Amino acid sequence: SPDSGHKYYLQFTTEDYKSGENAGSCLATVLYPKAKSPPVVTIKCVRTKDQKQIQEEDNTLYQKIRHQTKPIIGNNIPDSYGNIEPALEPVWALAVAGSSYIMWEKSTENLGYFMAQVKSAKQWIRKDDFVEFDYTVLLHEIPTQEIIPCHMRLTWLPGHPLKVKYFCASDNQGPEDGSGTESGSTAGILHARGANF
Amino acid sequence: LQLDFWLAPRGLGYPVDVRVPFPSLQPLKAHLEANGISYSIMIEDVQVLVDHERTEMLRGRRWLPLSTNTFDYATYHSLDEIYAFMNLLVAENPNLVSKIEIGRSTENRPLYVLKFSKGGTKRPAVWIDTGIHSREWVTQASGVWFAKKIVLDHKNDEGLASVLDKMDIFLEIVTNPDGFVFTQTQNRMWRKTRSRHSGSVCIGVDPNRNWDAGFGGPGASGNPCSETYHGPYANSEPEVKAIVDFVKNHGNIKAFVSIHSYSQLLLYPYGYTTTPVPDQKELHEISGKAVAALSSLYGTNYKYGSIITTIYQASGGTIDWAYNQGIKYSFTFELRDTGRYGFLLPAKQIVPTAEETWLALKVIMLHARDHLY
Repeated sequence: SPDSGHKYYLQFTTEDYKSGENAGSCLATVLYPKAKSPPVVTIKCVRTKDQKQIQEEDNTLYQKIRHQTKPIIGNNIPDSYGNIEPALEPVWALAVAGSSYIMWEKSTENLGYFMAQVKSAKQWIRKDDFVEFDYTVLLHEIPTQEIIPCHMRLTWLPGHPLKVKYFCASDNQGPEDGSGTESGSTAGILHARGANF
Repeated sequence: LQLDFWLAPRGLGYPVDVRVPFPSLQPLKAHLEANGISYSIMIEDVQVLVDHERTEMLRGRRWLPLSTNTFDYATYHSLDEIYAFMNLLVAENPNLVSKIEIGRSTENRPLYVLKFSKGGTKRPAVWIDTGIHSREWVTQASGVWFAKKIVLDHKNDEGLASVLDKMDIFLEIVTNPDGFVFTQTQNRMWRKTRSRHSGSVCIGVDPNRNWDAGFGGPGASGNPCSETYHGPYANSEPEVKAIVDFVKNHGNIKAFVSIHSYSQLLLYPYGYTTTPVPDQKELHEISGKAVAALSSLYGTNYKYGSIITTIYQASGGTIDWAYNQGIKYSFTFELRDTGRYGFLLPAKQIVPTAEETWLALKVIMLHARDHLY
């Protein structure tokens, strides 16, 4: 019922995760019901990039990954000193996108997350056109300050929803399905700087 | 067989240690077993250890800087390198800088504070600490830069010179050396100290929940395995106790700044309670000015406010304790960034971060100098 729980009104700008340039702005409401159920969200965004440009960037990313002759593997991305090897940037970008699904599902009114590091990444070569990766990502949990390792399996093809299956060390149930229902895009990966966070 | 004895045969009944080249493994094992001689494997593969040591040494001994002018401020350094830097800085500026050992960590590492002073006796002072949470590497790196900056500017920068005319500056760069070494050798994400307390297999106490201000209340954990474990009692951690003792013995600290990362925030007390501090208005104003100064350099955006209203409730925190000791100008920084790299901030951001933060620190120090109490 509309009068129970806590409702938040958010206005925020977004920026491209890679370049830092402005990617658009959004208006949203988030209602946390009193019961322990997922929040009810309404959101409307105005993107600064058009669909065509997003598609182009997605394809560039996709081609970078497909171009490799051997399955891509990597550890500690970024490394302890904040470095990301240029060859592993696409792998990191996909991990950011996939982790955002995990963090979206795990966060509550009182618990938030950041992706701290990709501990490991391993590509599975598929017979079809999809790219597939196995990741261990570390999530930084606020305010507990815990570092939560999550195993994430991600599949993607430009123009298709990002498919994410994950299991985090603190999860009690079986593997979670973080798959989206809309077309997933890794261009203009959104990093929100909220008026409220 | 080309056996290499690391503990040579001495006589009957004495053990022998031997390094065995790979092709000789089988023949040797067969020989020992045939003669009923028992053995155990101490190191599976010596080459692995040698390789590891080599990479460690190459990293650590890039080339030892001979002065603080050749020291690379735009990179992350080991504890040994930072301690060597401190000694260099003191040696180069004996009339301005001295090094004080305020205590020892759990693992018996010295806790060093640099004192910047133009003279006098127990002048009113500013305290700055970095690296209390070991994984927040941009803070220790910034501390090193601040130390050099003070030396460079103490004569020609009007603001800094006027601060040092009246006040001393104390700077603890590696406030949690055990944790720091652990982040470099074992776990980059280690936050706490490395103490062991009875009754748990888990190690470490959150040094920013271990102070005697609302100790043990909501905003800290009683679980030793938690990242915000407050410890068995306030000041249980030698790293914390050393500062408490120093501050109390000094008795004339007028500003206290504890530096963390990340989130880009400037915070003042309280964290343990929603009750505003009596000096809320003044601290809020100072914060506004400090943040404006910081942003003026590279446009970095900071938010500011009390700990509990800006981030979350946290009990047993450093600056809550400092404020309750009567140190009015008590602040905490959360440096760059806002989560993209988080703790793993690229080294090329160290100097810009330190530069902009220094502008904010100067605002605080100048205000303290002009409003001594």
